[in-house]
Amino acid sequence: MEVLAAAIAIGLAALGAGLGNGMIVSKTVEGIARQPELRGPLQGTMFIGVALVEAIPIIAAVIAFMAIFM
Amino acid sequence: MMSDYDSMVNRQRKWMLYLLALLVIGAGFSSYTRVFNGLLLGSAISFYNLWLLQHKTKAFGKAVAESGSTRGALGTFSRLAAVALAVLVAIRFEETFHIIAVVVGIASSYFIIILDIIVQYVTNSRNSKKSNS
Repeated sequence: MEVLAAAIAIGLAALGAGLGNGMIVSKTVEGIARQPELRGPLQGTMFIGVALVEAIPIIAAVIAFMAIFM
Repeated sequence: MMSDYDSMVNRQRKWMLYLLALLVIGAGFSSYTRVFNGLLLGSAISFYNLWLLQHKTKAFGKAVAESGSTRGALGTFSRLAAVALAVLVAIRFEETFHIIAVVVGIASSYFIIILDIIVQYVTNSRNSKKSNS
């Protein structure tokens, strides 16, 4: 049962983060390809977006490991 | 001249190093050694995650701007693996590391990113008010 809980936790978090990261990165690549001189600000925005989106799967990984091993 | 991105990276690194220094002092001099050890482990892994994301983001932007194609990824799996390692170490050496403190430590880089955004916003709005008046 613990393994199932861990799988659901990390699977759903990874699904959401994958979709979110994909949107952020695709729009940033589009922006940099259109205007390479805006690389700095776009990189900064992408960095903050990706970092905040990835917080959830990281916490989900922690919860999954705690569910299995504790 | 340093770009906006590079100065943001340097500021975040500085905040993280201050936090790690405070945690080392806490682990050395307070009686809550187990909690501070956990916070230290989590923050060290969080610092690694922050550095990896900064490095990969810069390399990604450079590759897109120069060649127009995207080589490599942003290292999501490496960051998840680092966090898994920290949690496994904390569970294995439970008498040394407090597990909840490790989790809080892992989230510390996000607090620092948010703190940096807030500090920059306040500083910029103050500067623009001064230049207007």
